[in-house]
Amino acid sequence: MGKMNKPGQKSIFIIAEHNENKVKPVLFELASCAYKIKKYCPAEIKVILLGNETEKLSSEITHVTGLDVVATEINELALFNPEIYKKVIEDLAAEFLPSFIIAGHTPRGLDVASGLAVRMKAACITGIESLGETEGKICFRRQIFYGKIDAHVTADSEPLIITVQPGAFEPFKPENAATGKVETRRVNYVPFFTHEKGIRRSIFQDSSISEAKVIVSAGNGIGEKENLDLVNRFAAVFPGSAVGGSRIIVDRGWLEYRQQIGLTGAQVAPELYIACGISGASQHLAGMRGSGFVVAINKDPKAAIFNESDVCVVEDINKFIPAFLEEYKKKEI
Amino acid sequence: MKILVCVKQVPEPENAFIIDDSKEWIRPGTFSYRMNRFDESALEEALSIKDRYKAVGIDVISVGSENSKDVIRRAIGMGADAGIYIFHDPVGYVSPFLTASFIASYIKENNYDLIFAGAISEDSLQGQVGPLAAEMAGLPCVSFVVKQEISSDQKSMYVERELDGGLVEFFELALPALLTIQGGINKPRYPSLSNVLRASRAEIRTINSDLYTKSVPGQKNKQLTIPEKKREGYVLSGSVHEKAAELIRILSQKSFIA
Ligand SMILES: Cc1cc2nc3c(=O)[nH]c(=O)nc-3n(C[C@H](O)[C@H](O)[C@H](O)COP(=O)(O)OP(=O)(O)OC[C@H]3O[C@@H](n4cnc5c(N)ncnc54)[C@H](O)[C@@H]3O)c2cc1C
Repeated sequence: MGKMNKPGQKSIFIIAEHNENKVKPVLFELASCAYKIKKYCPAEIKVILLGNETEKLSSEITHVTGLDVVATEINELALFNPEIYKKVIEDLAAEFLPSFIIAGHTPRGLDVASGLAVRMKAACITGIESLGETEGKICFRRQIFYGKIDAHVTADSEPLIITVQPGAFEPFKPENAATGKVETRRVNYVPFFTHEKGIRRSIFQDSSISEAKVIVSAGNGIGEKENLDLVNRFAAVFPGSAVGGSRIIVDRGWLEYRQQIGLTGAQVAPELYIACGISGASQHLAGMRGSGFVVAINKDPKAAIFNESDVCVVEDINKFIPAFLEEYKKKEI
Repeated sequence: MKILVCVKQVPEPENAFIIDDSKEWIRPGTFSYRMNRFDESALEEALSIKDRYKAVGIDVISVGSENSKDVIRRAIGMGADAGIYIFHDPVGYVSPFLTASFIASYIKENNYDLIFAGAISEDSLQGQVGPLAAEMAGLPCVSFVVKQEISSDQKSMYVERELDGGLVEFFELALPALLTIQGGINKPRYPSLSNVLRASRAEIRTINSDLYTKSVPGQKNKQLTIPEKKREGYVLSGSVHEKAAELIRILSQKSFIA
């Protein structure tokens, strides 16, 4: 077994995910989060990496971040298996006694975080977007109630397990980072209940929407599929525009996947973004925050999207667009 | 085969949420509620199994205040066979640990082959109750499932789950297992008239959460705040036509419209 922590030396685990022989970029955001925690709670950051071919991945991580990597080679593991991850990280935690375990707020991250929380009797705060200190305690900010309220959450727990909303922290990629240490171990673990069966790219990202100068996006607030026609006519007013939408609209099949804006869709930064009947959930904002000028139309004056807008129009979208088109026509004549 | 589906009611996004005097939670209000969309998808997956195989029984369970029974009745209206309601209605924030521990206690006392939950709830977005309950009950778990198929011997199941970035990964799980279901993967059916009548008469089994040991809630809201404005947030005023004309003026000035 590897060396134990020096007495009194605390550590922070960050959990790496990888696919197609590449580290998932959210890891660099987790590293930023770990550095912020370290300001309040001095500790050594260790990247925890699991797989059956970790060498190239370890070297990428340590070269980019300068952080130490604890890699575990497991023949039975290709990419991800919740059963193996939970067991191996639980064992590593028993050895290193981390004060924090940080994973992405992703499907894999959530599998591992909740599982470890039960095993280690630790608190688990998920989907955090920033952190700070109040009264000597680290407070994590996360959205609740559709982004209308921020909760600042604390926990008396060692370790404390957190998952970090992708896109919330700047990626940590220092210039000329000194390369950290890589420690590679080897364990065997044959899973009993859960077996990996592979991975497939189901959706090919199409970046055409990213090139639009103006994006007019439709959300659940449009109500009926027929009202997309209004949104299309609205978009037609703007030269170089494209129509996008929130995930709900895409899941219903009203728009194509390539038009989905957000965490699991396209990340766009047009000069003008117009959100029509979109509430402003963090997963949607993750796809449009970089936009130049943002206009939101929503009938709810408290909708979270208004916090991210330059111009706020509190109106029923299906009344506002016809009024806009009429006024626009007057102007043209 | 017996399936349990975990459902939750969420307040609709249009409600006004007001921070209470303790600053740790919101004021109780007369909210309009609906079934969490992710749970609707979870229930629809279970119903699709029932459509396909004979001898499938579906129970739904919900933890919360008295009006959680509405969402249970809705689920029965959609086609679930029976409802279990765990009464737990303290003032303030409820940690997902507590909710999960009640569900896990119920699962351990009753035999289910398969448990479904929504991947996340729309109002709190924690994504924890399903995986926590699975771990507490000692069941294998995969979250954000978009497709599932039970093996012919009904001892295992094949699942596909969505990862971010357009990837899907596959697993085979031994049953019993708990899956959390991604929202929007199917079209949840509307309650049928005959089922709605059945739902209105159905006896919902009620369990008081005091019967279960309460595991320590791990986290606490130190404070709730209204999110900061990240942009100017200029609010247009006047009639709908005045607002439209004003927006046209602003966007023309910025040369977005000719
Ligand atoms: C892992 C994960 C990934 C996700 N990825 C994405 C993603 O990539 N992209 C994405 O968009 N979402 C994503 N989501 C979903 C996200 O959390 C929200 O559920 C979704 O963005 C909400 O869409 P919406 O704003 O259109 O609908 P809602 O939240 O239902 O909001 C509708 C809004 O319309 C307003 N409204 C209603 N009627 C009217 C009217 N007549 N006129 C004007 N306004 C009206 C309401 O006030 C409300 O604010 C993801 C969720 C998860 C858990």
